[in-house]
Amino acid sequence: MTKKVGIVAGSISRFDNPRHTLQEEMCAEAVRMILDDVPELELGDFVKKGYACCYSYFSDILEQQQCMHWIINDYLGLSAVPCFRVESGGATPIDAIINAALWIRSGMFPAVLVVGWEKMDELPIQKVNEAIAIAGDTDWDFVSGFTYNAFYATMEARRMHVYGETEEDLAEVAVLCHNNSLENPYAQWPAQHGFSKIMVEDVYKSRLISWPYRLHECAMTSEGASALFLANEELTKKLTDNPIWITGVGFGSDTMRAGDRPDNPAWKGLYPEDEKIWPKHVPPPMSPYPDLCNFGALRVSARMAYKDAGVKNPRKEINLVEIFDPYAGVVLAGLEDFDFCKRGEGKKLLRDGVIQPFGELPCQLSGALTAQGHAVGSTSIAQVVDVYWQLSNQIGKKWGAPSRQLSNIKKGFIHGHGGTGCQAGAVVLEV
Amino acid sequence: MKQPGPEKVIKEQKIDEKWWKDWERRGGWRPEGWKIIEINDGPTLNDLKPEKFLIVHRPHGNLFHHSYGKVSKFFTGLLEGKLYGTKCPKCGLVYCPPRAHCFNPKCRLAETQWVELPKKGEVHAHTVMAIAWPSMAHLQPLVGAMIRIDGTNTCLPMTMRDVDPEKVNIGLRVNIHIEKQPKGDLLDVYATPAEEPKPPKRTPEELKRFREDMEKTRAWVKKTFGAK
Ligand SMILES: [Zn+2]
Repeated sequence: MTKKVGIVAGSISRFDNPRHTLQEEMCAEAVRMILDDVPELELGDFVKKGYACCYSYFSDILEQQQCMHWIINDYLGLSAVPCFRVESGGATPIDAIINAALWIRSGMFPAVLVVGWEKMDELPIQKVNEAIAIAGDTDWDFVSGFTYNAFYATMEARRMHVYGETEEDLAEVAVLCHNNSLENPYAQWPAQHGFSKIMVEDVYKSRLISWPYRLHECAMTSEGASALFLANEELTKKLTDNPIWITGVGFGSDTMRAGDRPDNPAWKGLYPEDEKIWPKHVPPPMSPYPDLCNFGALRVSARMAYKDAGVKNPRKEINLVEIFDPYAGVVLAGLEDFDFCKRGEGKKLLRDGVIQPFGELPCQLSGALTAQGHAVGSTSIAQVVDVYWQLSNQIGKKWGAPSRQLSNIKKGFIHGHGGTGCQAGAVVLEV
Repeated sequence: MKQPGPEKVIKEQKIDEKWWKDWERRGGWRPEGWKIIEINDGPTLNDLKPEKFLIVHRPHGNLFHHSYGKVSKFFTGLLEGKLYGTKCPKCGLVYCPPRAHCFNPKCRLAETQWVELPKKGEVHAHTVMAIAWPSMAHLQPLVGAMIRIDGTNTCLPMTMRDVDPEKVNIGLRVNIHIEKQPKGDLLDVYATPAEEPKPPKRTPEELKRFREDMEKTRAWVKKTFGAK
């Protein structure tokens, strides 16, 4: 049995807020695009050919509908098809892709259709924030008076204190993401704010949310849907002559509460090289990595995915990256936790222009969560679709923006996580 | 075998049944209003068409009856003005938030023991909320800090009072307080500085921006809730 899982097609029904269109209608839009790309694929053949569906959405609370995936599955005309739902907070969509890939690898199903979506405009924004925040511990995190923004903000304050990251670094990340989204016809930022570039000063002008984070440095809340049709090697080659392969998957976890991490005995000694990197002016906790500075779950998921894909030197081998960035600082932390640099040096890759669109390691080409948007169950599927379009040379066709197509790219890396890094997943895509 | 019940009520602070029943009856899913709107929509920004949508305003609310389980003592402690954590008899880790079972993989989920904690600690990480939860909006700008209570191996998130947000920094020593009229959740706990705070390093531009942000936040609070 080959380990290779192919991406036959991918699609996005754009991010915006509000979309007003129902979840099942946005999902139908996304799946229709897949059917357009793969004329041989028939929805009526799923049962006969033994395909399955994997559905990805985060919240039953945002629109008070449990088991939404039964509605979606039925709406797509897929009754009788084996289906399952994955839910793991912000990690939901990456988790869905990983699950689907592993099901294909197991040999149980020759193909799995992954569909993800979210509706986020039905409640007022504070209630949406509440629905997200109760993915934190409702006895110990949520009721402390902290918003979710506040938890990520304390973690960034720690990075500033320990590593010397600055407010300018965060603003530069926001500028990169927003300007990357301007030619993306699936992105929420240009849909709402137009097509002009922004500068660091514009980020500073956006309102303070929870110091050090400002509005433009935080994920948008979005609605939208996206889909991927994954298949085993044989079927992939039959259905497309431009396949991209998921060659590595990985996932990891950390404590529910960020506050439990500094002395956590489970991390002690796990990454000794990282434990050694610690400045003299801060007393080290018992488990210096990840502490509140980094995201241990991201590290575990990335190393697993690299090992799975046979990636030995990620900095040299990976050509483009999409980081799940609910807050700007996660891009910098992620670069470290994914082994693109040592801990504390994420800011250096940013300052040296390495992660710019035509730098050595372009990051967030879609605009990611702060600009493409964050319809939770759709987010990482859409980011994988963006990287898939890059690797399969389809940006000209799918975005209508051929100048945004990178050349000579072979491998992409996409990550997703939930909570304050409570669970994370990563995939490696290859031409 | 033995039956676990019946349950005995040892002490109780009742909720106002009438207040809740009224809310529950009104929050019963039937639309309280609606609107019809028109906007462009479509799967991509290159493919938009005008569409009409009906939006109903549909209320819903719940009242949960939640047990704090085997760590209830922490919260009954708050009702008595005391701070408790748990300690693992095997490895000695001290938890606050408490755990009834030790999470050190070596300890095989050993049952922990209760210890009373000092009302002193240190800021491990911090933020200043310019947008807090609606129930706390009048307290903006609101300092939130991950506090490591002395002798514990964890951080407890709590809000801070009597402190200039500009001066809060990692390492600040704090006193921990429990509200005079505790309600039985974590918001009963807050911290104040136990020493003269040393502010974090900020560039002149960062400091100017920070002060402007605080002024804007305070002006909004004054406008919304009136002067203190
Ligand atoms: Zn123990």
